[in-house]
Amino acid sequence: MSAPTASASSRAAASRMAPWSYLTQPRVYMSLLALSLLLIIPALSGSAFIVHIFVTICVFAGLSTAWNIVGGYAGQLSLGHTIFYGIGAYTAALMIQHFGLTPWLGMWGGALVSAAVAVGIGYPCFRLRGPYFALATIAFLEVIRLLATHFHTVTGGSAGLIVPLKLGWAWMIFHDKINYLFIAFGLLLLCLGVSLWVRHSRLGYYLTAVREREDAASAAGINNTRVKLQAVVISAVLTSLIGSFHAMYLTFLEPATMFSLTTAIEIAMYALIGGLGTVAGPLLGTILVVPIAEASRGWLGASASGLHGFVYGSVLVLITLTLPGGLVSTFGRRVGELVDRLPGARPRPEREAPALPHIGGTPGEPILEAENLVMRFGGLMATDNVSVTLRRGEILGIIGPNGAGKTTLFNQISGFLKPTSGVTRIYDDDGRMLTPRAPDEFARVGVGRTFQITQPFGKLTVAENIMIGAMMRHAHLDDARAAALRIARLVGLHDLKDAEAGNLPVSDLKRLEVARTLALEPRILLLDEVMAGQSPSDTNKMVEIIRAIRDTGVTVVAIEHNMQAIMSLSDRIVVLDSGKVIAEGEPSAVVRDPRVIKAYLGEEFVNAQGL
Amino acid sequence: MDVLAQLILNGIMIGSMYAIISVGLTLIFGIVRVVNFAHGEFLMIGMYAVYLLWHHLGLHPYVSALPIVVLLFVIGALTQRLIIQKLLSADEYIQIFATVGMSIALINLALLLFGADLYAVNTPELRAPVPFGGYSLLVGHVVIFVCAILLVAGLHVFLNRTPLGRAIRATAQNRNAALLMGVPVERIYIITFGLGAACVGLASALIVPLYPVTPTIGTYFVLTAFVVVVLGGMRSIYGAFFGAMIIGIVDSLSGYYIAPDLKEVVYFIIFILILIFKPTGLFGFGRGTE
Repeated sequence: MSAPTASASSRAAASRMAPWSYLTQPRVYMSLLALSLLLIIPALSGSAFIVHIFVTICVFAGLSTAWNIVGGYAGQLSLGHTIFYGIGAYTAALMIQHFGLTPWLGMWGGALVSAAVAVGIGYPCFRLRGPYFALATIAFLEVIRLLATHFHTVTGGSAGLIVPLKLGWAWMIFHDKINYLFIAFGLLLLCLGVSLWVRHSRLGYYLTAVREREDAASAAGINNTRVKLQAVVISAVLTSLIGSFHAMYLTFLEPATMFSLTTAIEIAMYALIGGLGTVAGPLLGTILVVPIAEASRGWLGASASGLHGFVYGSVLVLITLTLPGGLVSTFGRRVGELVDRLPGARPRPEREAPALPHIGGTPGEPILEAENLVMRFGGLMATDNVSVTLRRGEILGIIGPNGAGKTTLFNQISGFLKPTSGVTRIYDDDGRMLTPRAPDEFARVGVGRTFQITQPFGKLTVAENIMIGAMMRHAHLDDARAAALRIARLVGLHDLKDAEAGNLPVSDLKRLEVARTLALEPRILLLDEVMAGQSPSDTNKMVEIIRAIRDTGVTVVAIEHNMQAIMSLSDRIVVLDSGKVIAEGEPSAVVRDPRVIKAYLGEEFVNAQGL
Repeated sequence: MDVLAQLILNGIMIGSMYAIISVGLTLIFGIVRVVNFAHGEFLMIGMYAVYLLWHHLGLHPYVSALPIVVLLFVIGALTQRLIIQKLLSADEYIQIFATVGMSIALINLALLLFGADLYAVNTPELRAPVPFGGYSLLVGHVVIFVCAILLVAGLHVFLNRTPLGRAIRATAQNRNAALLMGVPVERIYIITFGLGAACVGLASALIVPLYPVTPTIGTYFVLTAFVVVVLGGMRSIYGAFFGAMIIGIVDSLSGYYIAPDLKEVVYFIIFILILIFKPTGLFGFGRGTE
């Protein structure tokens, strides 16, 4: 709950680089030089056919880049993206036909419709996974195509619609094809710019987090549906703008080509070939494949109808078998290193945030109250009227045999399970009562949780993983990174900050789990078996970390099977068995409680010991 | 009422056709856990093969059913062995792209070889109407209906009564446990993919007398088959059979009462609604299963 202090933020602002200073970075100026070739080559060639190929490259690279925001960053494999392309095309064309409106304005009308349709389709479909999502998007595309064919009075139906031919920049229709290239190139730059911005923004990190682990993402305070909807709206708007332009270029629209499944697949395919989820991938994939296909179409003509599709399909299968990561993931690092040797490269300054101020509130007051939590799974009562009160500043240990309902209790007091009955109340620093519902709301009011089975965002680095948590409290990415580095040092992961999380051993993953949760700057930290499977020295390290966390004023609840550790660590212990609280109190009293011994060791043991 | 009853009968006949295709798709999805987007193109291959055998050798489509079933089994088994097997541990989207890529390649290969023309076999006896309690059916449709029932019954016996069938079911339920019990899982997958494709081989021999062949005929049938498979619960061949009947009847009724060109809209909307509102129940997966 602590905002960065004024002096810290002003120092941060001073260390940020001005946008134009990036131009001296080799990666930046080399990319811009390479991009400009898309204009220079066709302009020098003077051939209408070459210009046509480059317009097509720009259009499809733009479409693929826009698709990649949903398909790559968010990992939602849409095979219906031509819905937005078609909507853009038809809206712009119909606006000219009926209202005499210039396509420069009509394209924004199309974008608006596309954005609305994107929300309408995305909202229900985002709960589907993998192939089901892909199938649902195909079904939506088919429905829209069939409707567009059916309502022929509006769209011209399968007979088609001819864009009114008015020449000039105002109408986006030209004799000289090079003018089309200027617009197509501009649109491509827009798409690449947006894609680059998303990739390096909070949204981009959130999308990656949601793609990798939906549960861990909500625990980090992310509203999964909202970020996916943001992605699909951005993507739909860009796709629609290009669709409007392409309609002016093609001048003839029919539902079969505007709402084409084959085109939708091609768009996705370019991104896969170049590298899903990378900024440059979709463009590279398009540059690689489109000229071959267009050239074969141009030179071999009708005799080779089907050839380019055959090539596309075969390339797609071969890519999945040989380069599933695409060109960028396979060669990108090596090319990047070569480019970095060029003059002008400057290492990024790293900054570590100062320690947080101590959390406020009066120690000993209730900070979380779980009242009569009942969780029923079919006939099983996973928690049966569990009531627990957590006091500010304490370390509460929760123990109990396997299946006692410990993790189920955690899931209820962090919003992941909605209890069958009962409530969880959280109190803020001023004693006001809060009742969050969804996991991300719990995270925002200051309840952070770890997962028993670690949930790293495997394709992000250690520092980025922690950043995902830190972004909830920090508006600027640099501040989030600084905070992440502070926490990495606190839990002892600083030396591994640039390692990919997917490659870490279990003990480091457990600490990463704690670190990501700490980055949320929680007031209440729920730790689910963070010492399980750790070596004795790692366990000691973890005990020290937890004590250090508590010393900053954080209230800690820990589920643990490691008795020695939890007994020495906890101020108070709650024992669960078969969904009920069977004992509660100081560690030394709890271990002697016959009910606890019975729960762990059985009745016979209690009798034999004469307890 | 007469029109309605006739429409429902027609629907069941159309449904039988979808049933045979969808049962194959269900086998592949339920056991190998791969959505075969190239399933329709297997049908297209079978249909061209039936046409070629009829055109060049004069074989009746029903006679060529046997060699075509064997051919499609081999094609399916090879697909699994050479492509899908290598991608089983890859991300889901890679598997989707692989079968989508096969689909595009095969459609366009057909376009290269045969052009966009329609090819039909001339078997008027199968288009003759048979009277059925005051209603009228086509001979070819009745044969398809009988074959669909025989296919589901045959698969039922095979999966429940034979050792290989049990091994297939065990693999479907828990791949790792089956592996530990000595089931050669990879071989089971190859056989299953072959069987799924072989179902389409049977379908192609039965469909050619009623529908002309084009390169995109597979897409036409397979999108409907996906609707059927989802409707039927994704894993159950009986579900696929009844799902096919429902879609057949919806197809027939909405074509008559709404508009012929909107019947697909009707069942795609059903499909979307089921995917959205009963996704876990119908697929047998809970949320959060990785």
